[in-house]
Amino acid sequence: MSDQTDLIQGTLDLLILRTLALEPMHGWAIAQRIQQISDELLKVQQGSLYPALHRLEHQGWITAEWGTSEANRKARFYSLTKAGRKQVALELSKWERLSAGVNLVLARTS
Amino acid sequence: MNRLLHIVRSRVRSILFRDRREDDLAEELRLHIEQQAEQWIAQGADPAEARQRAKREFGNLESLKEQSRDARGIAAWDAVVRDTRHAARRLLRDWRFSVPAVLLLGLGIGANTAIFSVVNAALFRPSPFAHPDRLVDIYQKDRNGAPGTNSYPAYLDMTTATGVFAHVMAASIPDGVRYRESGGPVRNGVAEYTTASYPVVLGVTPSLGRWFRADEDRQGVPVVAVIGYQAWTTHFAADPSVVGRTLYLQGAPVTIVGVGPQGYRGTLNLGVVTDFWLPVQSAPVLGGMPNVLARRPVEAVFFVKARLRDGVTVAQAQAAMEVLGRRLAAEYPDEDPGKGITVLPANDVRAHPQADTLLSVVASLLLGVVGLVLAIASSNLATLLLVRAAARTKEVSVRLAIGATRWQIVRHLLAESVLLSVAGGITGCVLAWWVLRSLRAFELPITLDFSLDTTVFGFALGLSLATGVLFGLAPALKATRLDLLSVIRDDGHGRVSARRWFTLRNALVAFQVTASVVLLSATGVFLQMIVEARAQRIGFAVDGVATIETDARYSGYTGTRAAVIYDELRRRIAALPGVDAAILLPEQPMEVTGVPVVIDDRVSDGRVVGAGNVWAGPGFFEVMQIPVLFGRALDERDRQGSSLVAVVTESMARQYFGDVNAVGRRFRLDQRPDWIEVVGVVRDTGTLDRGADLVDPRPQLFFRPFEQANLPPNTVVARTRGDDAALARDMQRVLLAMDPSLPVFSALTMTQRLEQSLIAPRAVASSLGALGVLGLVLAGVGLYAVIAFAVSRRTREIGIRMALGARSSDVLRDVARDVAVVLGAGAGIGLVFASLVILAMRAFARPAPGIAIYRPSLDPLQLGAIAVFIVAVGVAAAFIPARRAVRVSPISSLRQE
Repeated sequence: MSDQTDLIQGTLDLLILRTLALEPMHGWAIAQRIQQISDELLKVQQGSLYPALHRLEHQGWITAEWGTSEANRKARFYSLTKAGRKQVALELSKWERLSAGVNLVLARTS
Repeated sequence: MNRLLHIVRSRVRSILFRDRREDDLAEELRLHIEQQAEQWIAQGADPAEARQRAKREFGNLESLKEQSRDARGIAAWDAVVRDTRHAARRLLRDWRFSVPAVLLLGLGIGANTAIFSVVNAALFRPSPFAHPDRLVDIYQKDRNGAPGTNSYPAYLDMTTATGVFAHVMAASIPDGVRYRESGGPVRNGVAEYTTASYPVVLGVTPSLGRWFRADEDRQGVPVVAVIGYQAWTTHFAADPSVVGRTLYLQGAPVTIVGVGPQGYRGTLNLGVVTDFWLPVQSAPVLGGMPNVLARRPVEAVFFVKARLRDGVTVAQAQAAMEVLGRRLAAEYPDEDPGKGITVLPANDVRAHPQADTLLSVVASLLLGVVGLVLAIASSNLATLLLVRAAARTKEVSVRLAIGATRWQIVRHLLAESVLLSVAGGITGCVLAWWVLRSLRAFELPITLDFSLDTTVFGFALGLSLATGVLFGLAPALKATRLDLLSVIRDDGHGRVSARRWFTLRNALVAFQVTASVVLLSATGVFLQMIVEARAQRIGFAVDGVATIETDARYSGYTGTRAAVIYDELRRRIAALPGVDAAILLPEQPMEVTGVPVVIDDRVSDGRVVGAGNVWAGPGFFEVMQIPVLFGRALDERDRQGSSLVAVVTESMARQYFGDVNAVGRRFRLDQRPDWIEVVGVVRDTGTLDRGADLVDPRPQLFFRPFEQANLPPNTVVARTRGDDAALARDMQRVLLAMDPSLPVFSALTMTQRLEQSLIAPRAVASSLGALGVLGLVLAGVGLYAVIAFAVSRRTREIGIRMALGARSSDVLRDVARDVAVVLGAGAGIGLVFASLVILAMRAFARPAPGIAIYRPSLDPLQLGAIAVFIVAVGVAAAFIPARRAVRVSPISSLRQE
């Protein structure tokens, strides 16, 4: 059970970090952005989004502060830290290796 | 590294600013829902419905918050807080268990903390000197080649070694002094005689005024002094005008020029606080040591410390001192027998190289004894926790069954025991503080600084935490190591208990009984010593004799005026109704000073032996009623300037002169040229020191007229046919009638004086006794707990047996058998240990020639009585829960579970 969550968690972390690499964003916008970019294929559950954000913050990869959104409303904006930027590259290469590996396995067993 | 720091910081922030973070989170989630709803509204949904849907889709808010918290890493902290809170609630509810437990631990930890604060003051305080690494201690070697102390001339020679030492200073062994500010009470203090170089060598600066200068350290100039900071604040209200004031110290006027550094205790740093620093040159007069500045090993009372010149090593200093040692040996073959000089880094020495070992031995002994008490208290805590854990078996198994992990339950139980022990530790610190404070209430002749500093509190805290974890862990592990099924089915009871409670718990109680027997037996030894000391033959008059001690110098009387005052005082006391005779003495009657003497042997001249010097005068033997056997008593002829005489005891005559009639023979004090002629022999007598008499009941004593030694009197001794207590009061009245400013150091009957000499053994006996009783109380509690536990576990079994017709006496006998085994084993081992201790004391009664300590007798009756007493207490403690067992109604006990 835990393995599965790990995978999903790790993937979500990567997606969040990658999204935040473009610009600082608040929680709802992050979820929306991931949904849009993935052509609604990926739907981020709020139940996983906020724990993930807090975990990343606790790790020191992102920081958060209160600001005002484009719609002129209060929101908590997350942005990448220096360590976070390094982490994006790391997670990316990890993911590439993983997906390449999974693809290979799938291709050769089908 | 950076990331680790960040995580730690983020975690601390999470904990510290929890409420804010919680608010942030709630707000963030609320905004998220709102935004989602608005998007749907914008897409044309019904506003109310959109909000509902957004909320629904979001899911369980609370569990999401919980997950976010976990992500922030405060879950572990929460668990600790929860465990602690839970444990505190439980302990408060079970106060009948927790209050005694905390008190037990408090006693154990308190005793340890109090003793440790003494050891701390003596051994662990950091060096009070500046740059102690550049400081060296210099010691002239003693006859055995070990580091000794230095003579003053040798110190002066050491100061010439300017090639290796920047500065050198000397300070005497701290000496007791009396001082009085005009009109005030006469106080006791501690003084060091030292040099003007003291502050520059040690790097200490007076907090007020200045140190004395080299030109003030001369004979024939007014004496100046630096007063200790603590004496200044306690007895002079920290009044800055004390500088420049003159007070009487040892009866002589002394002007204060400065106040010592704040918090500075003195050169020795042993817990004894120095009240005065006086110039070395004042020592012969003020210290009453006329030859203290002479170059002779017996007079060497000085510690020498030096600051190394920059770049000079200890080895180079040692080499320079070896050269000096050889030179001194060549120049003064008699005084400096060529044993050399030792240089040691000051950091390597605590008090003195020869004393340090003894110091740590005494400290370890002290800590060992109180450690034993702590061990008892802790093992009791363990027993109580076991009893508690046993009573909670069902709760624990239910919790395990519904999914609590073993670690969680162990954590809960540990939280309880740690909480208990920390509460015990706090109680202990309060107790220790109170004990030390009440100690300070006594007007001791010396100031001791055993304050509770951070080291001591750290020690107490460490002790209580260690106790809580160590002694809580075993019961906790045991409580959770359960055969789940059998416990819940409730048929495993008898088996679990019957087998297990015979091991650990009983061993603990047996150990407590052992410790109590040993401690109380040791108390018995000292009580026995006191009883014997009181019962022994005294040999001089006690009933009807009273003494009064004063010192006219503190009221400004000197020379002949003082002599007139004393003589007048003696005459007036002698004239009191009922008084047979009154005499003057320079100290308490029958006070003995051991000195080396040389017997005029004719056969082998120069034999050095030890004998006791007692100061006496005309009428002494009559007042003290010591019969003269040969020759004459001391009388008016024996005054200053006449030929030196002495009266000796039978023992001295027989042992040193080979003939009980030693009249006409001679002896002299070692290293003194003047011969003293024996003019009389008196019957053997005891001394003022009852403890010493016990070791050596027939001491070799010689009595000398104090006037021949040029000593001023300060005591009147009188004998009455009436009541001696009334005489003591009358003497005081007579004294104050002559001059109300005259200080009364003491006005006591001879019986009271003799009792004073037993203060030390009495103190030891009462502290050992207190420890023994404490141990006994602890053992009683332990026994109670164990039996209560056993009975509670066997209620069902007992109920069945009673239902089947067993009589209560049968059940009681069953419990009694278990108790007897534990008590018997404990008491038996205790008796063996106690006997070994007493036999060891007997074996070491003469550790070195010339030194003797009390030789206790092995009294089987006494030891037996102690053991019986302890067993009786144990039986009584066990009886309470056992009686509960036999009162169990069979029906209710069967229904109970």
